Amino acid sequence: MTTRRAFLASLAASAVWPSASWAEAGSPAFLAAAREADGGYALFGLSERGADIFRIPLPDRGHAAAAHPSHPEAVAFARRPGNFALVIDCLRGRVAHRLTAPRGRHFYGHGVFIEGGALLVTTENEIETGRGLIGLWSRAEGYARVGEIASGGIGPHDLLALPGDLLAVANGGIRTHPDSGREKLNIDTMRPNLSYLTVSGGIAERVELAPDMRHASIRHLAAQDDLVAFAMQLQEPLAGVAVPLLGLHRRGAAPVLCQAGLADQLAMEGYAGSVAIEGGRVGITSPRGGRLQLFDLDGAHRQSFRRMDICGLATGPRGLVATDGLGGVLEVGERTLHPVTTAPRAWDNHLVRVPAI
Amino acid sequence: MRLFPVLTLLLALAPAAQAGIDAALDRHVLPRTAAFAGATGALAATAEDDCTAAALRLEYQAAFDAWMGIAHLRLGPLEENGRALAIGFWPDKRGMVGDAVARLLAARDPAVGNPDDFAGVSVAARGLFALERLLYEPDLSDYGPDAYACVFSRAIARDLARMGTAIAREWSGGFAEAMRRPGKTGEAIFLNRREAAQALFTALVTGLEFNADQRLGRPMGSIDRPRPERAEARRSGRPLRNVILSLEALHELGQGLGDGAMPETDAAFATALETARELDDPLFADAGTPSGRLKLEILQQRIEAAADAARREIGPALGVSAGFNATDGD
Repeated sequence: MTTRRAFLASLAASAVWPSASWAEAGSPAFLAAAREADGGYALFGLSERGADIFRIPLPDRGHAAAAHPSHPEAVAFARRPGNFALVIDCLRGRVAHRLTAPRGRHFYGHGVFIEGGALLVTTENEIETGRGLIGLWSRAEGYARVGEIASGGIGPHDLLALPGDLLAVANGGIRTHPDSGREKLNIDTMRPNLSYLTVSGGIAERVELAPDMRHASIRHLAAQDDLVAFAMQLQEPLAGVAVPLLGLHRRGAAPVLCQAGLADQLAMEGYAGSVAIEGGRVGITSPRGGRLQLFDLDGAHRQSFRRMDICGLATGPRGLVATDGLGGVLEVGERTLHPVTTAPRAWDNHLVRVPAI
Repeated sequence: MRLFPVLTLLLALAPAAQAGIDAALDRHVLPRTAAFAGATGALAATAEDDCTAAALRLEYQAAFDAWMGIAHLRLGPLEENGRALAIGFWPDKRGMVGDAVARLLAARDPAVGNPDDFAGVSVAARGLFALERLLYEPDLSDYGPDAYACVFSRAIARDLARMGTAIAREWSGGFAEAMRRPGKTGEAIFLNRREAAQALFTALVTGLEFNADQRLGRPMGSIDRPRPERAEARRSGRPLRNVILSLEALHELGQGLGDGAMPETDAAFATALETARELDDPLFADAGTPSGRLKLEILQQRIEAAADAARREIGPALGVSAGFNATDGD
């Protein structure tokens, strides 16, 4: 287990780290990984209008990235069950560190910085037991592994840093083992949850849905003020059934599940890939159904947009922005989905907001 | 640090793509959507004269045949207002069609008397599968010409004809053009030709997978628990017929997209179709016997082989592949 002292030490040490800023890397508003026309992979920094600011080759397909809050560093995670993550120096366009999951652990695809950027936290699987973990990595110590805590469930996927370094973790509930890739080993008994926790204090709150929703795997998260939105992916026997794919939660309250009309709901094919909140609306994407659905913050369905293979979704300086597997970057207007750039590449699952300084 | 200008260049498009898009539209999409409009129109015209089950079954079968010609075109006009589901609500995992039909019958819902009202009822109570209940379910199908069920059947037929007309009109009246000349019609549906080719190619591959995974996979169930009662449109005797007609239509789409140069895919389709036509189990009722299941498994594999061939042969010729994120599953 890590200690409070380790954090303080890493905070102090971070003062001696080179103090480059995102501005020196061209002030990207977003990070996104893509497969390029030649079949290779790269991480891109994008402007608020979706224009390329930088491009850094990646050795393989990634899943998500974490942007450091102030320094031009991004951590790119391998697709699960990956055992490595790359810290990329976005100023020099090179890999600065390679994080390898400790023996008996593998990454689950997402991570986020806390403690002002001193600590990187990652979702992981303890392979032997299937217990979900949050790995702790100290930036000041060259991204050394400094500890781990329980994630509060099985199969943690996305996680968010909320004010006060409170973490929200989507424990998807699905146990996998690297020997069998992404094969789901516990569908009959899965019980996903949304957990709130702190590194020092452990689990603060755990939210489970009703038993009839236990095959809805809670996978991706977004937050605005005190509202956390969670996007779900349905497993059998719920797959192909019109049940909610989006939930909204406020601490201490019961979650609100959001549903569109029957045809719109079934069009998502039981699969929400990304979620984002912007002002008074929350969006989820389904690449399988080629749909972006928007809901009000009280959970009412507002509208649906269609776009093939749409998946990435984030809130930028100009509002909601989506990316798709055809190379499009799209602004989500009130009435239209407006393409702003297109390029010969396939944008990967997630669009990541770079914090404004 | 590397600075790049905005990339507005499109991927160099394989020359086959434009010809493939044109051929797929002219030889498959436009005639097939017109045929569906015609068949649903004939069904509705018959229903105006006589809405009893005996009078409607023939035109019902023809309309369902025509639906198999376009059901895989899950883009544009079929996706407006949930039309694809309102026409063909299947698979129906929670038995919503039966429930919705029973609910309208029990309540004698007046929505059946007005086309606009009927277009607003649950998609599960509309379309070919709701009508199948009324025409083929023994407890329901003996209704007389003055019964509520007769008016209900007529409402479904009219609603199908209305959607069929709208789909054909939207395809021929602009959507096909938006695919042929993407970015030039003022509609940002397809940003370039690659996207248009991708949409049609995805319809082809997804349509093949739907036949293998759903039309065959659902009645096959698991070895321990075969589920022949889950076969699509079994009440109207159509499970195998639907697979054959769908494969024929998908082959036609593939031939258009491949623009005649797809020997491997042609051969795979021919094998799959031959296997399907030789199957002596029109309802997939033998899914529960070892030999019956084996035959369905073989057909399933041949359909998957056709999808693999299309991915290898047609996709690269068009410069596209199936959805990057849609197939990732994370």
